[in-house]
Amino acid sequence: MAPDATTTPKEKAYRKLNTSKLLRDTMTLHILSTKQASQQGRLAWVTSGFPVEIPVAFDVTAAYPEQYGAIVGSEKCGPLLCGFAEELGFSQELCSYARSSIGSVKNPQQSPLTGLPTPQALLACNNICGTVLSWYEAVSEMTGAPVYLVDMPPLEGDQPSHHLSYVKSKLEGLIEFLSQTFNQDYDEEKLIQVAELSNEAVSLWTRALEACRHKPTPLNCADRFLSMAPIVALRGTQQAISFYQAFLAEVQDRVKNNVGAIVDEKVRLLWDNIPPWFTIYNFFNTLAKKGVSFPADSYTHAWSANIPRGEILESIAKVYSNVYLNKGLTAKIDKMCSLIKDYDLEGFVLFSVRSCKRYSLGQMVTKEEITRRTGVPGVIIEGDMVDSQQYNEAQVETRVEALLEMIV
Amino acid sequence: MATKSTLSIGIDVGSTTTKAVLLDAKRNVVTQYLLATGASAQKSVQKCLDELRKSSQQDLTVVPVISTGYGRRQALNAIKSVTEITCHSVGVHHLNPEIRTLIDIGGQDSKVIRIGTDGRPLDFELNDKCSAGTGRFLEVMARVLEVSINELGSLSLKAKRPSTISSTCTVFAESEVIGRIGTGESPSDIAAGVHKAMASKIATLSQRVGVKSPVSVTGGVALNPGFLYYLAQAIQTELWVPREPQYTGALGAAILALGGGE
Repeated sequence: MAPDATTTPKEKAYRKLNTSKLLRDTMTLHILSTKQASQQGRLAWVTSGFPVEIPVAFDVTAAYPEQYGAIVGSEKCGPLLCGFAEELGFSQELCSYARSSIGSVKNPQQSPLTGLPTPQALLACNNICGTVLSWYEAVSEMTGAPVYLVDMPPLEGDQPSHHLSYVKSKLEGLIEFLSQTFNQDYDEEKLIQVAELSNEAVSLWTRALEACRHKPTPLNCADRFLSMAPIVALRGTQQAISFYQAFLAEVQDRVKNNVGAIVDEKVRLLWDNIPPWFTIYNFFNTLAKKGVSFPADSYTHAWSANIPRGEILESIAKVYSNVYLNKGLTAKIDKMCSLIKDYDLEGFVLFSVRSCKRYSLGQMVTKEEITRRTGVPGVIIEGDMVDSQQYNEAQVETRVEALLEMIV
Repeated sequence: MATKSTLSIGIDVGSTTTKAVLLDAKRNVVTQYLLATGASAQKSVQKCLDELRKSSQQDLTVVPVISTGYGRRQALNAIKSVTEITCHSVGVHHLNPEIRTLIDIGGQDSKVIRIGTDGRPLDFELNDKCSAGTGRFLEVMARVLEVSINELGSLSLKAKRPSTISSTCTVFAESEVIGRIGTGESPSDIAAGVHKAMASKIATLSQRVGVKSPVSVTGGVALNPGFLYYLAQAIQTELWVPREPQYTGALGAAILALGGGE
C-alpha cells in the first residue's frame, strides 16, 4: 500500500520511498555490469570524487570501493574485513573504507558480494582525501592493476590559473593512461555527451535535495544516503538519469501532498559527514520516532555541481577541483551555514568519523563557528562509518538527547 | 499540559553510584539516598526508592520520577529520562543561579557545561572515551599509593615538590606512578602529580566550551580538596562547590519532575 499523510497506530515513524525497489534494481544491474566489465577487461576502481566522465567516455565501467565500504558497513562485517587488513600490518587508524577494501581483496570469499570484481585500472583523485593514493597503491600490489592519480592540490578561495592548468594537465595524462591501458582512442565529442548526461543526473539529484526545504522534509538523511548511490556510481549514464527522474517525481509528489519522510516532524537538524553505515537505520529512525528529521547534510550535497560549458577538460578540472573537501574549512562552514539558513534547521550534528580524518578535521572549530554565525546549537558525536568497534551507542545517544533538550 | 506535583523524585543512575532525591513542592529536599550502582542498575534504583520511602514515611507510589545518568533507562517507573547534562545544569542553577560553567566529574566521564541565565545548558563537552579525567583515574591511583580515595586529596596537599605525571592515559599513568615510587618520590608528591595531571586534562576539556565565571564543580570528585586546588590553578578561577555535590544531577531531575518533566 502506498504511504499517505495520515498516521495510524501501526504506522512507522518513517516512510519508505516507493523508488527503493528501483534503486535496488538499478544498483544490482550496476554490480552485474561491473562483473561483466571485469571479465571483458574494462573495469576501473574509482574514488568517489573522481572525474568519472572521462573513463566512462572510454567505455570503462567504474566500481567504487568507497561505496563497497558502505555495503560492508551495512552488512555489519566492518570489523572482520578491517581485521584482514590489520593482519597485513595496516594501522587501525587507517581509513576504514581503505581497510575494508584491502581486507576484501585479501579474503574475497569472506567478503560481501565476494568483494568488488578485479580491476584493470585504479583511478584515484585526491580532491576528497590523500589516503586514496596509498590505498590504491596497496590494492595495485595485490591485483596488478596500474594506478593513475589525478592530483588536485587543495584550494583556498578562487582557483588560480596555474592551478587550473596543472589539474588540466593531469586530466590529459589520464586520457593518455586510459588510451594505453584500454587500447582506445580519445573521443572528445563522446566526453561532451557523457558530461551532458552527468549534468542531467546531477540537476535531478540537486532538485530532489532542494525539495527538502519543504516542511515536512520529503527525504530524511538515510533516504538521501541510500539514494545517492547512482549519482556516485552511475554519473554520465542514462541509468542514473532514469532513476533520478522517478526519484524526483516521488519527492515532488510528497511535497505536493505534504507527505513527510517522517510521520511527525518536530525538529529539523543538519547532519555532517559520512553516516555510521552499520547503524544508519537504527540511528535516524530512532530519532524519527522522536520527531527529529534531517532535511539536509553536508555529504550528499557534495554531488550537486554541474560541469560548466566551455572547453571540456578545463570545465571538468574546474568543477572537480572546487569540491568543498578540497577547499579548506571555511568553504565547508559556509556551506553548512547556508544549509541551516536555507532549510530552516534548528541545530546540527557533526559526526566525527575516527578513520576519516579529512572530513572530520576541524569539527570543533566548525561547531563554534556555525553556532556563532547561525545562533543554532550543535553537538559532536564520535564513531566511524564502517568500523563499529569505534562506536558507542550510549555515548552518542546522550549527546544527541542533550542537544534536543537544548532545542526543545 | 503537565500537572504540578506536591512531591517529586530524581534518580541519577551513574556508573559508580546511584543517587536519589525526594523534593517537596517548594523544592526543599525531604530526603536523599546514595548507594553503589553495582551490577544491577534496576536493583539499585529500587533500593533507592525503598530507602526514600522508609526515611520519608510516605507512600511514593504516585510521585513522579525523572531519571538521569548513564543507567537512566533502567529506572522503569520514571515518567521520563533526561540527560545528565540538562539535570546537572538545572540542579546547580537551583543551588546557585549565578553559576555559568559547570564541571562535573563522574566515575566514568567528565563534562563541562556552559549554563544560561535560565539554568539550561547552552553548550557542553563530554569526555567519555577515556578514563583519564574521571573518578576512575583517581581510584586507580589511590590503590597504587595504598591510600583510600578519601585520603588521596588531603595527601596531595602536603606535597613539597609535586611529581610530574606526563601520561594522559590511566593505564600508562599507573605505570608512571609505580616508576615514581621506585625512584623514591614521596606519596604526597606523587598524589599531587596525579591531581595536577587530571586537572590539566579537565582544563583542556573546559577550554573547548570556554570557561565563564562563576564556575562550579559537582560529582563525587568535587569532595576531593586536592583536585579542587589543582583545578583552580589550572583554569585560574575560583570554584564553587555545593555542600553535597554528588546529588546535583538527581536534584535537577527531581526539579524537572516537579513540573511534570517539562
